[in-house]
Amino acid sequence: MKSWQKHLGLVLPLLVVAGVVLWPIITDNVSARESAFTILKAIALASSLNILLGYTGYVSFGHIVFYGFGGYVGLYFVNDHGWSIWAGMLAGGIASGILAFLLGKAILRLRGAYFALATIGINEAMKAFANNFDLFGGPIGMVLNFSVYKAYGGAAEALKMTFYIMAGLTFAALLISHFVRSSKFGLGLLAIRENEDAAEVMGVIAPNAKTWAYVLSAIIPGMVGVLFFFKNGHVEPPVAFPLHSSIELLVMVMLGGQGTVLGPILGAFAYQGMRGYLVTSDFFKDIQLSVSGVVLLLIVLFIPAGAIGWLRHRIPVLRRVLA
Amino acid sequence: MKKVLFVLFTLLIVSSMLLSACGPSAEPTTAPPAETQEPSEEPVATQPPAAPEEKTVVIGFTSSLTGSQEVSSKRQVNGFLLWMNQVNEAGGITLSDGTVVKFDYKTYDDESNGERVQELYTRLISEDNADFLISPYSSGLTSAASIVAEQNGKVLITTGAADDATYKTGNTSLFQLYTPGSLYMSSTVDMLQQLDPEAKVALVYESDKFSTSVVEGIKPYLADKGFEVTLEEGYASGTTDFGPIVNKLAASGATVLLGGGHYEDGTALARTLYERQIGLKFVYLLVAPADTKFPELGDAALGIATSSQWELKATHTEEEAANLGIEWFGPTGEDFAAAYQAAYGDPPTYHVAGGYAAGLVLQKAILDADSVDPEAVKAALNAMNLMTFYGGIQFDTSEAAHGLQIAHKMVVAQWQKNDAGELVRVIIAPADVATNDPLYPVPTP
Repeated sequence: MKSWQKHLGLVLPLLVVAGVVLWPIITDNVSARESAFTILKAIALASSLNILLGYTGYVSFGHIVFYGFGGYVGLYFVNDHGWSIWAGMLAGGIASGILAFLLGKAILRLRGAYFALATIGINEAMKAFANNFDLFGGPIGMVLNFSVYKAYGGAAEALKMTFYIMAGLTFAALLISHFVRSSKFGLGLLAIRENEDAAEVMGVIAPNAKTWAYVLSAIIPGMVGVLFFFKNGHVEPPVAFPLHSSIELLVMVMLGGQGTVLGPILGAFAYQGMRGYLVTSDFFKDIQLSVSGVVLLLIVLFIPAGAIGWLRHRIPVLRRVLA
Repeated sequence: MKKVLFVLFTLLIVSSMLLSACGPSAEPTTAPPAETQEPSEEPVATQPPAAPEEKTVVIGFTSSLTGSQEVSSKRQVNGFLLWMNQVNEAGGITLSDGTVVKFDYKTYDDESNGERVQELYTRLISEDNADFLISPYSSGLTSAASIVAEQNGKVLITTGAADDATYKTGNTSLFQLYTPGSLYMSSTVDMLQQLDPEAKVALVYESDKFSTSVVEGIKPYLADKGFEVTLEEGYASGTTDFGPIVNKLAASGATVLLGGGHYEDGTALARTLYERQIGLKFVYLLVAPADTKFPELGDAALGIATSSQWELKATHTEEEAANLGIEWFGPTGEDFAAAYQAAYGDPPTYHVAGGYAAGLVLQKAILDADSVDPEAVKAALNAMNLMTFYGGIQFDTSEAAHGLQIAHKMVVAQWQKNDAGELVRVIIAPADVATNDPLYPVPTP
């Protein structure tokens, strides 16, 4: 395969994300920018989770723990030590990566339901840790002083800036997802997903590969957490470690198609786009949770492999571009 | 067969969804505004030149139609809608230039979740052209909304957002109606000082943002009043087994318990204390005893006290305002309660009163400013010193804590038995509004 053909699967994901980024810029609509921010955040988190869930087949019910922990660490340095948002995000990403490395060494020995249960426990343990850790404000959490925004030209400019940073993080997440998938390392992860014992026989050092996949899947969520809490102006334990958000991420990945680069992007786009429309629709807003539940149920019933899996199955010629 | 079942199942779900969408709203207690005006920036062309200009002011807010804040949030919205309907039905507010101001509202469901709050408040401002904002219910959601209000120069009147830290951000747009969390227990401590200055206090509370900030706020006040704190114990949200904590409490030698959190844990703690009978003279719990379901605990509810932002039995009056030399504004507490009962069929709680007061305070600020210009209204709010049925309204105007409520006082309510032996919630402090003497010490069965 020619080298450019190898990266053909990156074109559509880049175009979809670029479309989301350009939508508020072209329309010059601040409300669209906020909606696009929510969608980009979901894409970045779902694409990161896909590195673990989609490529290795390990189901994590507590992936939001990296978003919360990284967010706490970064916001602490921004709020209490006057670090810039850039340095705060770097600290948040590194902290989440280290946490994933340590956790990975311990829990990636577990498989299937045992691993899934352990990830739920970690989420609750981290919430309890934040609740009792005075440096992070304990149960009260941290509230950002508005003066922090002055360094970025005021609250309005700071919020605008967070959109562009989120766009950058989303592009970074999909590039990491693509290059992992198309690399020899990614091939090892896919082999683990199909049969871990057979992969080890073929020379894949499964514990190391899984741990590094876990680390890679944690860094971007950590940075996204810092950015989101910086934008929202506060963080507290239930906001940082919401278990339901982990489940929503799983839904997004499975909706679009796990194990593909484009799948989580489409899943996140569709899920958040649908929720965004329903919650503001005059007709649906009172029953928006029921409607989104039913739509998801229908999708899971009729296209369990996700949108990309369904398309790849039905139209084989698309397999090269729908990576 | 399987396919047929799938199709039938799908049709069933889709048709039930459509039926529910076409049917009456899922929220029976939310009344639509009695009168809806189309926004009109220009004078009505068909009117004679002397006719007054009519302006519709749009008030935007998110509410929690779903999630953990649902009950309180819906009550808050009901209170606001009652105010809006009353003002519109009375013909609106007339400014000195003859402009008649009427009100409309726009709201979205925030799902008790901060994720979309900024997105929705941005939409309220930029798409729905909201002129003024009211906060979501809870401090966390309000923190997120406050940044959007600040960046757009919009007034954000907060109700249901008690945490002090939300106002200590350098904001210029927030105006709080609730007594700040740090002062929630101060009336209770004042009462205790009168009743039993030697009391030994235990602080046992839920480890969440609200309860912790209330306890952190009262600790220096307790020290200042000379009380000894013999135990300080936080417990995780969702705790229902209080056996080990009550053991610690008994060992601490405390005679008074201050704490609690929310409904489930508060009722479980009250039940355990009743079963164990460790000799406490007084128990104060946050939130749970303010609920009308609390007497379902039976004798375990007897003597349990709580704070309330507003109670009909201790409603503030025009006479009180006159004695304090403060301007009075709005309906009496009795009129408000009767109107709410007529509109919604149940007595108003303090969440309802807070929602109504948010509208009332905005109305007064527009009248004082004689304008709907946001900067003029903001200036009027900063200068406000008012008494309503809900209580005193005055805002901290310092840069350090702008918008923090400094005039509103909480009352202390306690479950006691009436002559018929039924549990009733009575007001025991402050003394000037108390309807009954405190039950102190609480009798043992």
